[in-house]
Amino acid sequence: MTPRARGDSPGWLVWRAFRRNGPAVVGLGVVLGFFLIALVGVALTKGAQPVLDPREVRLPDRLQGPFARPNRVAVPAASWPRLGVYLFGTDELGRDVFARMLEGAFVSLSVGFVAVGLAVMIGIVLGGLAGHYGPVRLGLGRVRLLTVDTLVTGIIDVMLSFPTFFLILTVVAIIKPSIWNIMIVIGLTSWEGTARFVRAEILSLREREFIHAAQAAGARGPRLIFRHLIPNAIGPVLVSATLGVAGAILTESSLSFLGFGVPPPDATWGNILADGKRFIFDAPWLTLIPGTAILVVVLAFNLFGEGLREAFNPRLREG
Amino acid sequence: MLPFLAHACWRKLWTLLLISIVSFLVIHLAPGAPSQIDPLNPRFTKEQLTRYRAAFDLDKPLYVQYGLFYHRLFTGQLRAFKDNQPVLPKILQRAWNSFPLFVVGTILVWCFAFPLGVATAVRRDSWFDRATTVLVFALISVPGFYLSYLAIIFVVQTFHVDVIGIQTFGREATGAWGQFMDRTWHLVLPSLLGATAGIAVLSRYVRSQMLEVLSSDYVRTARAKGLPEDAVLYRHALRNGLLPFVTMLGLLIPGLIGGSVIFETIFAWPGIGRLGYEAILARDYPVVIALNFIAALLTVVGTLCSDILYMLVDPRIRL
Repeated sequence: MTPRARGDSPGWLVWRAFRRNGPAVVGLGVVLGFFLIALVGVALTKGAQPVLDPREVRLPDRLQGPFARPNRVAVPAASWPRLGVYLFGTDELGRDVFARMLEGAFVSLSVGFVAVGLAVMIGIVLGGLAGHYGPVRLGLGRVRLLTVDTLVTGIIDVMLSFPTFFLILTVVAIIKPSIWNIMIVIGLTSWEGTARFVRAEILSLREREFIHAAQAAGARGPRLIFRHLIPNAIGPVLVSATLGVAGAILTESSLSFLGFGVPPPDATWGNILADGKRFIFDAPWLTLIPGTAILVVVLAFNLFGEGLREAFNPRLREG
Repeated sequence: MLPFLAHACWRKLWTLLLISIVSFLVIHLAPGAPSQIDPLNPRFTKEQLTRYRAAFDLDKPLYVQYGLFYHRLFTGQLRAFKDNQPVLPKILQRAWNSFPLFVVGTILVWCFAFPLGVATAVRRDSWFDRATTVLVFALISVPGFYLSYLAIIFVVQTFHVDVIGIQTFGREATGAWGQFMDRTWHLVLPSLLGATAGIAVLSRYVRSQMLEVLSSDYVRTARAKGLPEDAVLYRHALRNGLLPFVTMLGLLIPGLIGGSVIFETIFAWPGIGRLGYEAILARDYPVVIALNFIAALLTVVGTLCSDILYMLVDPRIRL
C-alpha cells in the first residue's frame, strides 16, 4: 500500500472539479469579497464615533445623487462625509447611503448565516435521526404507533405543504419583526431540504462497507452518526447551506418590502431598497444600488453553491 | 397498486391533521395570552379583545377551541374581523381572481423551463450552457419586487399601457377587442414575473435530471445501436427524465400562493395573495389562519394527485 498523494484526497478532487467552473469561481470570489466588505463595514460604521456614520441625519442634503458634494453652508463641517462626496448619494433624511450599505452588508450577512445555521442544525439532527433510527418504533408502553422515520418525514411533509413565505409573514406579524425573530423564523421554516438530503444520504451510506467496519469496531448511536455518517454526508449539506444563505437574504428583503423586515434603525440591504421604492422616480439610486447589490451577492452565493453541487457529484465530475 | 394508494391516502390524512393543528396553533405563538397580543397598542381596543375571545373561544380548553374553529370555518360561521363577512366565500372569491394568474404562470413555467433545461443539458459546458446558467441564476437571485418595479417602468414607458390592477378603470367602453387587449396586458406582466423564479428553478432541475439520465447505460445503449440523436434525447432520455417532475406538480402550489403575496401586492391584483397581505396588515386572524390552512390543504390534495399520476406513469410502482 502506497500512501495517498495529496492530489487524491476527496477535498482535493472536489476543489479540482470546482476550479474548472468559471462562474462558480467568480461566485466564490464575490462571496469572499462580500465577507470582507461586511467586516470592514462593521469596523467603519459601529461605535460611538464611527468613521462613516450611517445614522447621521442631514436634512439640507436630502435625496442627493451619487457623488454629490455636501451643502457646505447648511450642513456643519463635522457632518460632511469623510470621502468629500456622498459616494452612493443620500436618502430622504440626508443619511449617507454608502455608510448605510456598509452597515447593511453585515446585518444582511448575519441574517443569512444565523437563519441558515439554525436550519442546518435542525436539518442535520432530524435528518440524521430519520436516517439512522428510522425503523425504531415510538409509542407508549405496548402501543407502538409510528416509526421515527414516519414521524420525521411527516413533519417534513407538513412544513413543505405550507406556503413558506406566507407562513413567515404570518408569524412575523404576530410576534413582531425584530432582527432575531426574523432570523429564527426564517431558520425554522427552511430546514426541510437539508433534512431530506441528510436522511437520503445516510440511508445510502448505512449500507456501505466503511460503516459496517465502524459498527464492527463498536461505534454506536451518536458516535456513528456524528463521527462517521454526517461527515460523509456533508457535501449536500454544504450545498444547501450556501443556497440557503442566498434564500434568506432574499426572504429578508421581501419581508422588508412588505413592511415586516428588520426594523429601523438597523439598515439591511432589504430595507434600504424597500424604503427607496417611494422615491423611485426622484431618486432612482435608492432603488438601483441596494437592488443591484442584493442581486450580485445572492447570485454569487447561488453560483458558488451550484458549483459545489456539481463538484460534489462524482457522476458529473468527469465530463 | 391499491395498497400503494391506500398508504398514500393514509399518510395524507395524517399530514392534514398535523397541518390543521399547526395552522391553528400559530395564533398561540404570541407571547403571553393570544388575546393580549399588543396591550400597549392604543388601536387594540377592549371591543377587539372581546371579539377576539369570541372568535377563537379563548375561554375554553385548547382542544375545544381547535374543534370549534374548524367547525365554524366549514359551516361558514367564521367571520372576518374586518368586514364581518364569512371567511370561506371571501377566500374562494379571491382565489377565483388569482386563478388566471396561476394558470398563465404555470403554463409559462412549463413552456420555458423544459426546452431550456434540455438544451443546456445537451450542450453541457458550452458557452450557451454557461451563459444560460448565469442568466437563470440571476433570475433566481433578483428580489422579485425589484425586478417588478424595473419591468413596470420599462413597459409603461415603452408601450404606454396601464399594467396595474386587473383592468384599466373605465375601459369598459372601448369595445370587446379593446377590453380583451387591456385584460391581456394586465395579465402578462404579473404572471410572467410570478413565473420567472419558477422557470429558473425548474429549468435547473430539468438540466440536472437530464444530465443524470444522459450518463445512464440505456442512453449509451440507444446511441450504440445507432439511433438518431433526436430519438435518443426525446424518446429515451427525456421520457425517463420526466418522471420525477410528476411528483413536483403538487409541491408547486405553496410557491405559487406564497409568491402571489408579493406580486399581487405590487400589481394591485385582487387575488388570494393580496387578501392575505391585507388580512395580515389588518390583524384579521380568522382570514390569515384560514388562508394558511387552505393553502396547505390544496398542497396536500395536489401531492396526492401527483402521487396517483406517478403511479400511472411509472409501471414499477404498480408491481
